[in-house]
Amino acid sequence: MTSREPRGVIQLIPDACTVCMICVQECPSWCIAIDSHHEEVSEEGARRPRTVSVLDRFTIDFGLCMYCGICVDVCPFDALEWQPQHDYPAATRSGLEHDTDRLASHGSS
Amino acid sequence: MLHSLLATREFRLAADPLVEVRVLALGLACCAVEVDAAVVAGILVPADGEPDREPVREPVREPGGGFRVLVVAGTVTTPLVPAVEAALGQRPLVDAVLAFGACASTGGPYWDAPTVINGVDRIVAVQQYVPGCPPCPEALRDALLSLAGR
Repeated sequence: MTSREPRGVIQLIPDACTVCMICVQECPSWCIAIDSHHEEVSEEGARRPRTVSVLDRFTIDFGLCMYCGICVDVCPFDALEWQPQHDYPAATRSGLEHDTDRLASHGSS
Repeated sequence: MLHSLLATREFRLAADPLVEVRVLALGLACCAVEVDAAVVAGILVPADGEPDREPVREPVREPGGGFRVLVVAGTVTTPLVPAVEAALGQRPLVDAVLAFGACASTGGPYWDAPTVINGVDRIVAVQQYVPGCPPCPEALRDALLSLAGR
């Protein structure tokens, strides 16, 4: 007998993330960190430039994560997804902190 | 004393006949159940049990000793520190320490609790961290093989 649904990993789709911060607020173990900045976008015909948030860094600390999936559930833009991969032990404590690129790569491996 | 009840249990890793990995499992909290799940799944075999198959060549380390890994499974609270120290003091000494699960790795969801040690690496150097709350048995097998260099 083996576990049929391995508690996998959470993938980030960076392009879908709007930095709404809902996942950060809802995470019970405080394992998500987001850095962002604002940019003004000028559009032709608009009365004034729009201000948009731009994602700089999205980190999930899997050392703290309880894999409850609340972040996946609450994301209004489906920027977080479950992936089945479970093989990512780390030799260092900081190796459990997955940054934007690593989180984005989880779907492909 | 509570910690005297928490002795380690010894297993062999059944995944790879080329690697002789001895697992000393120290179950401190609920992640211990997942170590048992690895036994049920056949990933770990009790150390005194019959081998399921003969090694196709000599194990990496001396037979009998093997590569000994202490698997700390569960929350390390202040009263349980002596249990960890007792496990570390066993002879022969362990070759590596594996933090199994969020609590043993970092304190997990209890990182803010005053009686919780935020990771067993505050007591002893950890060679492998396995994330998860709890991790699945397969993650334990993968981490042990990774430690043994496979």
